[in-house]
Amino acid sequence: MSIVSDQTSSVSRSKLPVAIVFHRVALSLFGSYAFTWGFTAFGVAALSALGVDFHEAETAMLILAFLVILAVFLWAFAARSLSLVWLVLAGGAALFCAAAWGIQKIILA
Amino acid sequence: MFANFRQSMAWLHTWYGLVLGFVLMVVFFFGSLSVFDREIDRWAIPETRFEPQPMPSFDKMLLPILQKVEPHEVDYNAQMPILHDHNQGPMTPRLELPAEEYWAYTTHRDPVLIMGAGFGVPKPKDPEGHNHIHGDVTIDPRSGKLVSDEALKIGSGWFYPMHYGLHLGWKNLGYWLVGLASLTMLIALVTGIVMHRKIFREFFTFRPEKKIQRSSLDLHNMTGVLALPFHFFFAFTGLVIFAGWLYFPVAETLLKPLHHQHEVLEADKTGLPHERSGVPATLASVDAMVAEAKRRWAERDMAGEVGYLAISHLGDQNGYVSIYRAGSDRVALVGEGIHFNASTGELIREDPPRSTVGNINEFLTGLHLQHFEHWLLRWLYVLGGLLGSVCIATGFIFFVEKRKQRYAQKNSQFIRVVDAVAVTVVTGMLIAAVGMLVANRLLPVEFENRDSWEKNAFWGLWILAFVHAMIRSGPVSKALMNPAWREQSIAIAVLAVLAVGLNWMTTGDHLIKTIFTQTYWPVAGVDLSLLVTSGIALWVARILKLREQASLPIVTLKSKTIESGEVAHV
Repeated sequence: MSIVSDQTSSVSRSKLPVAIVFHRVALSLFGSYAFTWGFTAFGVAALSALGVDFHEAETAMLILAFLVILAVFLWAFAARSLSLVWLVLAGGAALFCAAAWGIQKIILA
Repeated sequence: MFANFRQSMAWLHTWYGLVLGFVLMVVFFFGSLSVFDREIDRWAIPETRFEPQPMPSFDKMLLPILQKVEPHEVDYNAQMPILHDHNQGPMTPRLELPAEEYWAYTTHRDPVLIMGAGFGVPKPKDPEGHNHIHGDVTIDPRSGKLVSDEALKIGSGWFYPMHYGLHLGWKNLGYWLVGLASLTMLIALVTGIVMHRKIFREFFTFRPEKKIQRSSLDLHNMTGVLALPFHFFFAFTGLVIFAGWLYFPVAETLLKPLHHQHEVLEADKTGLPHERSGVPATLASVDAMVAEAKRRWAERDMAGEVGYLAISHLGDQNGYVSIYRAGSDRVALVGEGIHFNASTGELIREDPPRSTVGNINEFLTGLHLQHFEHWLLRWLYVLGGLLGSVCIATGFIFFVEKRKQRYAQKNSQFIRVVDAVAVTVVTGMLIAAVGMLVANRLLPVEFENRDSWEKNAFWGLWILAFVHAMIRSGPVSKALMNPAWREQSIAIAVLAVLAVGLNWMTTGDHLIKTIFTQTYWPVAGVDLSLLVTSGIALWVARILKLREQASLPIVTLKSKTIESGEVAHV
């Protein structure tokens, strides 16, 4: 725990560059939100397509959403590669939203 | 960014915990007070100190009052320019808006009844949207007399919204901050567990005789671990309550077409019309419908009072009356809705029992919103909320204690500001809350804009507490304690006793009366809680005085490193 623990000198403490911290904080926060948003929309659309009542699907997904965002957020913070986090969160959000929109189109057609 | 997983979790715990902890503190504390919001209302509005009443006759009492309800000016000014289609001419004047829905709501703890009307926007920009301007009133259901708008319901109208919205209305900013803080609570619990391998031992570890840094960490861990399921559950369900409306409104945005189709199909299936027909119609006896609803509940072995009553598409042939049972005997909220045709009084539909998913959701949100009648459980909620507050507050203290030596050496002012903000959100918040009660009893009843002045007192005292904490923060930069902690504790003690005394002087309701001769627990409970608060604040001030006298300015790291071995916390 060299950076954050008490036993080390104050030199290693200040090693975290502000830009990287800011990047990670913003990405993990907005990224996990966008990912969860897409996941929820996709889940509601997919469950509806499977014949689940719309509000039931919505309720179930919204309960699940906060467990998902918690897990995704923690992963985004712990993951080593920022580009991987970018890829999974932004890519996942876009794919989920597109899939949700597509499923909706099929149901309403 | 970090060398390992534990380190990244520790960073999150420290920094998210600190920054959002200030918000969390407010959420936990006012959440604890909100468990008894209606009781605080009674304390703050003495003319409503009587027993809870069942829903009165709709036809005889509520309807004539509802017909006089006007769209609220603030709501009209805020919403009308957004909802109205300006291409179709000027906005309909406020008092000419047609009432389209009525509602009335009460609980087993409410002597007063709140009710209101939703007014339609005749030329809406989005005809499919929720085009309503609202207006509401509070009445004494025994007489039908209106309770003045200026009588601020400090519990349900100020402390409770503070709990979930911080009174920051702009762009729902307060809700978002509270949501982020709730997520932070979940994060802090998970990361806290990751950081503490010896979690079971910490259940039982509290060493008050040790240094502040060690004992505050013990208390932080103990309150965090002991009430961990409680904290997790409340942060989680709090998020779920607002999820569909604000945090993840998928049904109102991306999936709106699907949602709309469902609503229309649903209206067909339930027989509850989705739209107005345009054909005017009169209103049949609602009291008869209430009697029929009660009979049907009794038949299902669920006799009970009406909790919520609503009339949709008022004055239209498609109008219907929905009657819901009060939720005082179970965890779920109002329910078992029964719907009647508004103009004929015929039964349209009885809501079927909830599905499994619906039941889970009602159970989760119901446990959070606690509308049930179970006083022991209510007090356990307060205890859990206060344990959460202790957990957060000791987190601040640990953060400061751990760093102040180092910052004193570096001559940095950062920790001094952190400590002052911590004073503000811990003792300063109590000063604001208790001071508001004092202001409530000091301001004359006929005082103009009385409610605004109570709110001003609340914010003013809170700002004052911050200024005081900043001014007195000098010693922190020398690695000593900020005397504001102690001084504000004394202020809390004085204000709390003052509030109890003023309540006695202005209403004649002293504790001997409210406990023994004319027992009225809502007021007695608030008074007793204030006295206990005062006692604890004095005790804390005394201990802080002893600590202050005992501590010397030690600006070396030596004394610290002795203990740092066991302080393996961030």
